[in-house]
Amino acid sequence: MTRALLALIAAATVALACAGAATAQEELKIGAVGSLSGGGTAWGLAIQRGTQMAIDEVNAAGGLKLGDKTYKPRLVMYDDQYTSTGGKTAAERLVNSDGVKFILGPAGSPPALAVIGVTNPAKVIVLSDGYAPAILKNEAKAAYNFRALNSNVEFTPAMIAWLKQNMPEVKKIGLVCTNDAVGQAALPLLIDAYKKAGYEVWSELYDRGTKEFTPLMTRMIAQGVDLFDLNFNAPTEAGLLLKQARQAGYKGRIWQVGGPSVDEIMAVAGPLADGFLSYDVFDFDSPAAAKFVATYHKQWPGIINAQAPAWYNAAKVLFEAMRRAGTTDVDKVRDALEKLDGYDAGLFGPVRWGGMADYGVNHQLLLKFLIVEVKDGKRVTRAELQPEQR
Amino acid sequence: MFTPTLLAQVVVNGLSLGAIYVLVALGFTLLFGIMRVVNFAHGAFAVLGGYALYYLYGQYRLPYILAVPLSALLVAVISLLLERCVFRWFYQKMFQSMIGLLGLNMALVFGSVIIWDTYERAIPPAFNGMLQLGGVILPLDRLMVVAIAAAILALFWLFMSRSRWGLAMRAAAQDVEIAEAQGIDTLSTYRLAFFIAIFMTALAGGLYAQIYALSPFMGDRPLVVAFIAVILGGMGSIPGAALGGLILGFTESFLSTFYGATLSAFVSFGVVILLLIFRPWGLLGTPE
Repeated sequence: MTRALLALIAAATVALACAGAATAQEELKIGAVGSLSGGGTAWGLAIQRGTQMAIDEVNAAGGLKLGDKTYKPRLVMYDDQYTSTGGKTAAERLVNSDGVKFILGPAGSPPALAVIGVTNPAKVIVLSDGYAPAILKNEAKAAYNFRALNSNVEFTPAMIAWLKQNMPEVKKIGLVCTNDAVGQAALPLLIDAYKKAGYEVWSELYDRGTKEFTPLMTRMIAQGVDLFDLNFNAPTEAGLLLKQARQAGYKGRIWQVGGPSVDEIMAVAGPLADGFLSYDVFDFDSPAAAKFVATYHKQWPGIINAQAPAWYNAAKVLFEAMRRAGTTDVDKVRDALEKLDGYDAGLFGPVRWGGMADYGVNHQLLLKFLIVEVKDGKRVTRAELQPEQR
Repeated sequence: MFTPTLLAQVVVNGLSLGAIYVLVALGFTLLFGIMRVVNFAHGAFAVLGGYALYYLYGQYRLPYILAVPLSALLVAVISLLLERCVFRWFYQKMFQSMIGLLGLNMALVFGSVIIWDTYERAIPPAFNGMLQLGGVILPLDRLMVVAIAAAILALFWLFMSRSRWGLAMRAAAQDVEIAEAQGIDTLSTYRLAFFIAIFMTALAGGLYAQIYALSPFMGDRPLVVAFIAVILGGMGSIPGAALGGLILGFTESFLSTFYGATLSAFVSFGVVILLLIFRPWGLLGTPE
């Protein structure tokens, strides 16, 4: 009797183990780097939440099937504090400690440049954001890194052409930016673009972390600026710049060739944001957006940063490349990513890669974009534009 | 560029900036002046004041005139627990207080991160309008801060010079042992000074968060500002904090407007370094 019972238990254990093996999913760590503190927090949360939504979607469908294996993606994210040091530390933890092979983020040139300095030699795929051209145009020839959102190189020419056509009265542009990699690398390109279009430009740099801009705004007003561009400032700083410009008596146009962070700016500046124009990456009122917005709000209340759909899109693009490669082998996934033109992840239309003319590598994801205006506390789309593929 | 209108605007900007800095510096200098405590957790109490105002005014829509003092009061009352558990061990221990309160600051800031997330939030403005006098513009929210700073300074001066509790605080600040020999309950006096200091810090934090933005990391800047203002004016001196705050505000306004933000920061810290070398007790402080 005891022998029979033991045999039964042994058989049941073996059967359970076999069943377990058949359904077991291997964990696939997806790394993310973004600002989870300070002025760039809205962008960091966009990376975190957009990526998490794509991961949830994959897991709800039974996991990521690559060849004969099924993977269960899991997000591992670290705060970069919107700094180079933070980005480097986060990347080193992901690569060396967590053994991550695929990273989304960060957003912003200081952390992005630091991250790719770690990930390219380690052969880790990164889909980042940030306006510094060196993110793609570097010594490593962006071997393993891609840019998931348009940079100013992609959207600035189209926006300035639109400005020229629609606001011919604007002659002088004011630019205020942080005195770091953003202000030193990305801002000069924007200044050049304005100058090439025939505009006079006044610019000034400030230390990151500054919240009081009234004296700087008084200085700008004294320069006779017609249009104040909030350019690449983080959402809170952009909101404070707009609010304090108006409070200092600035009457000209304000727009942002950068960001985007329209909702955050409206939250900080309130009614003073009326008339503000901005680059925007996503139309939340479009039919394609409805499902995304509903799914997002099931998990998180409040404002959806406009970059969140773009990171959801980037994560889906990455997963599709893995599916086509049929493996997590980094080189094969990288090759599949490069050949992904035409794949539609649902929110931005078919994938278009570009950047060869500007960076020497086709690793720039080209996303259609909008120019929106704040009217009576709501955003209204003024134009839908496409970056040039070159 | 030096037009009369622009100069007038620079003065107005300097006054409104200075008023914010005075409010931020008062609580900091009071704790040092009475108890010789360097409150490195100053910024964290400002953050708590910001969240209290966010809920009372921003979420529960209490009338603004009630929400501002109530939020500061709420933080000051809750902080009495910290006075009993943490601060009391550091009275008259300047160097120990620096390290101990740095730890408290981290605990409060990251406790705030756990509770409220790292989101930067906006507290709805109480006033959106602007007052225009000639070519000079005064935003009403800044005007309100100037008025509150002036009222707080006047009330505080009255309290310190005319009330028995104020006189007791000054006596304890000058010599604890002699004050005790004269029958002053220094422990209760310290507790009251702590309460008032935190009340003022939380009040300043609420207004600061409303004018700029609220997050658990918001307190870093008020702490730096308080340090510069208090070192300029003289550690522990209330009139010194007021003078230091105003000098800082006017300097920043003038230099940022005419010479740029980078030079302004450079000069502010440069002046503090020079002062620490040639007059370490500050403009209105007294040498040890």
